[in-house]
Amino acid sequence: MAQVSEPAAAVRFDDGAWEVLTATTNANLCFQCGTCTSACPLAERTSMRVRQLVREAQFGETDPLVWKCMTCGECNASCPRGVDIVGLVRSLRGRAWRTREVPPGLPTLLWGIYSDGNTFRLPPSQRASWMQDVKVPGKGSTLLYVGCAGSYDPRAQRTARSVAKLLNLAGVDYQVLGNEEVCCGEAARSIGHEALFRDLQQRNTESFKQRGVERVIALSPHSFDALKAGQAANGGPEVVHYTQALEELLDAGKLRGEPEKRTITYHDPCYLGRQNGVYEAPRRLLELSGLTVVEMRNNRGRSLCCGGGGGRMWMETDPLERPGARRVQEAGETGAELLATACPYCISVFESERGSETIPVTDVAEVIAGRARA
Amino acid sequence: MRIVVCMKVVPRPEEVKVDPETKTLDRAGARSVINSSDMNALETALAFREAHGGTVTVLSMGPPQFEPYLRVALAVGADEAVLLSDRAFGGADTLATSYTLATGIRKIGDVDLVLCGEESSDGGTSQVPPSIAEWLDASQATYVERLVAAKNSTVRATRALEDGKETVELSVPAVISVIVGSNEPRFIDYDRWAFAQSAKVQVWDAAALGGDPQYLGLKGSPTTVAGLREVRKAGRRHETLSVTPEEAASRIKAEIDRVRSARG
Amino acid sequence: MASRDDGGLWVYAERRGASSFTPVSLEILGKARELSDRLSVELTVVTVGADGGAASELRRYGPDHVLELVHPLLDRHDGKAYAKAIGAEIQKARPSTLLLGATRNGQDLAGRLAVRLRTGLTAHITSLELDGNSHLVGWVPGFGGGIEAGITCPAKRPQMVTVRPGVFPSPPRGSPVGKVKAVTPDLSEEDLGSRRVSFEPKGASVDLTRADVLVVGGRGTGGDFGRLEELARRLGGEVGATRVATDAGWVDRDRMIGQTGVIARPKLALVLGVSGAVQFTVGIERAGTVVAVNRDPHAPIFDHADLGIVGDLGPIVDSLLRTLGAA
Repeated sequence: MAQVSEPAAAVRFDDGAWEVLTATTNANLCFQCGTCTSACPLAERTSMRVRQLVREAQFGETDPLVWKCMTCGECNASCPRGVDIVGLVRSLRGRAWRTREVPPGLPTLLWGIYSDGNTFRLPPSQRASWMQDVKVPGKGSTLLYVGCAGSYDPRAQRTARSVAKLLNLAGVDYQVLGNEEVCCGEAARSIGHEALFRDLQQRNTESFKQRGVERVIALSPHSFDALKAGQAANGGPEVVHYTQALEELLDAGKLRGEPEKRTITYHDPCYLGRQNGVYEAPRRLLELSGLTVVEMRNNRGRSLCCGGGGGRMWMETDPLERPGARRVQEAGETGAELLATACPYCISVFESERGSETIPVTDVAEVIAGRARA
Repeated sequence: MRIVVCMKVVPRPEEVKVDPETKTLDRAGARSVINSSDMNALETALAFREAHGGTVTVLSMGPPQFEPYLRVALAVGADEAVLLSDRAFGGADTLATSYTLATGIRKIGDVDLVLCGEESSDGGTSQVPPSIAEWLDASQATYVERLVAAKNSTVRATRALEDGKETVELSVPAVISVIVGSNEPRFIDYDRWAFAQSAKVQVWDAAALGGDPQYLGLKGSPTTVAGLREVRKAGRRHETLSVTPEEAASRIKAEIDRVRSARG
Repeated sequence: MASRDDGGLWVYAERRGASSFTPVSLEILGKARELSDRLSVELTVVTVGADGGAASELRRYGPDHVLELVHPLLDRHDGKAYAKAIGAEIQKARPSTLLLGATRNGQDLAGRLAVRLRTGLTAHITSLELDGNSHLVGWVPGFGGGIEAGITCPAKRPQMVTVRPGVFPSPPRGSPVGKVKAVTPDLSEEDLGSRRVSFEPKGASVDLTRADVLVVGGRGTGGDFGRLEELARRLGGEVGATRVATDAGWVDRDRMIGQTGVIARPKLALVLGVSGAVQFTVGIERAGTVVAVNRDPHAPIFDHADLGIVGDLGPIVDSLLRTLGAA
């Protein structure tokens, strides 16, 4: 009788890896319907297929395309079984750190966060330079968490100053950490390094506790999301986004806007809108300031990701794969005079994608700070 | 192979100031960091160990405050750490420093490879690696960007020279200096923290180290610092002008000339 | 006024090719002639190789003596063997001073030689002076270039100093002078530290981290990098670019300066038509001098510049090229 040799295995099942993934995610719920793939903005321009990524994960394998993910959350929002695919992406990236199969530049990013407390490899002694001539009350149980972008990126510093001015106008008592503020760790969390993220969140919890902070107002939606998750886990203070805090002040009559005859369109940042459900506060802020808000077709939960999330701000993206330009074009098509948003990453992406001939980009706080009165 | 990585903890260059009155260094406000090319040397060592087996020991000469940094190196992946610490080692120039480190390497024993960063950001002389090689009567390859093992206890090192890349083969024991940026240093392995914090860091003072006292510390240093001066202002000038193109060109040319005549 | 053990001043001339030398070798030879005259001592230049005949070129730079160390095993730089050969001659002649060029091989040699001679070595100085006792004081940059230290070697001899290229001017090439002596050092295979396996001459790949001058272009160039390349050529520098420019295909990706590109440390950075987003400026933070040109007076790049010009890039670059002349 002829010997029949076993064919080489087409797939290896890594049960150990799968056990870890089932313990940390709910990816076992996936029944491979593929809705996520059709919702994913990367499917159009790359070979990313989310359904396949989840399938491979179920075998204990990590698709290298996992690093392209912007964690925009369209997949989560569309999944009929409520699989936390964004969480799975983070877990898969976390596993890659163990074998050090990560894109170049990311270990250096983590060293920077670890040693300097920020994502830009700049000294802590320059962290408070955003303030310039703005005075902060420096008291009370509310804290404005500026974040790395707001502290070091000149573009985002303008937003930080605008928010501070608005809080000052409304007579809010609040503090800032100044040079002692450290990174919230959202970059570490996005690229899968859960351990560094937890370390940073713990340091922030201790800082907040030391200063009697009961409420944190975050400038960036990414800090907002990271601090919300991290502080909840540590029993730390309540965290809101600045648009939520300003909306409260407007409603309480502590801030008014002078009517302004300008049309503006608003882009929902993924980490404020889709991931955290904050859609109306920024719009109300703009309308209560007298501006006319014109909606893009893909608004609120359908907002098109700028491409900066998921750690992509810290990685090089092929120009052909970047989604930002499409969003700027859509904004231009509304005929609005301004494109406003509430995220430093979105602003950074849109400003570098747009030509001088298309719609100017601004932050919500900057727009209303110009016209706000106490 | 048994690999020793020499590490130096340095103040961050941009944060050190010179007191304009006393012309002495003010390091007080400066944070410390492991010298960056030493991190590249550690990465080279760890990659070498992954490919060819062996142990990696980090070695440093300095005050007890260096110990936490050695523990970071353990958390990154080193197996052992040795700190040479004694007042008698203080005030050392590169002759005395290289002697002290070489004596430490001899005491560690059976060392095949000594890896160092190409130069340190405080002092930046690049002299220590070849000096260690001479003290040990070992072969050397400096300005290395790639290191692999070859047959019969030899290694192949690719050196980045001004006019090209030279690959050399050398027998162990060998001293290798690694250029900054030749690899991306791996981040801390958080699973190693427990080990890194509890591991015994060997601390050797002058008595434990042995060696000839005439070559140690200030006494063993033929060179001395006669004075200090500040070269460049900490911040930018921020001189912003709005002028005609001709005037602009003239101002820019003046700046170019100024930089050129400053030399070095 | 002369130092102890007066074998005078010695200079190591590093060979590059059959009968030429690294430019810095000649630069230090020129400076050494000046110092020797001031100290009234003799100047010897020592060179090493597998063949003689390099001496004739060195005689044109004013030495009193040329010493050639010739041996087949010395055909390429080998720190261990070179240190042994030169060390032996120094122990015989007892010079007070030895200057070497701070090339990579020069440093490779100097560190070994200093230990062999148990003497002090002051590395890659940027200026050299004599103090009141006729001792050399070498000024050395440290701390990323912000501070200089003046180093002396009061007791041990020879005082060893390595010198960076471009610190001293190139001396004029004159008629041949000086006595030549050729010596065959006592060497065997065991004295070699390494063996060359291969050598790849520097090709087309660009290394912006070593550039002294960078001309960086951004969106404001509108794609016109031709003039920037000309500017870089005239200044002996390299062209860099922002992500916008490399994305647009105006320049290769390996020329991108910034957080996900190259972190450069040129002596001079001309930053043209760049707005100055933080992801870019971290790439030039370490430049010695930054000159920026941008149409927008509020461009953040001006916060990172020593000299900032607000204006249209085209006319300014044209005018600058005219001012620099056809170099």
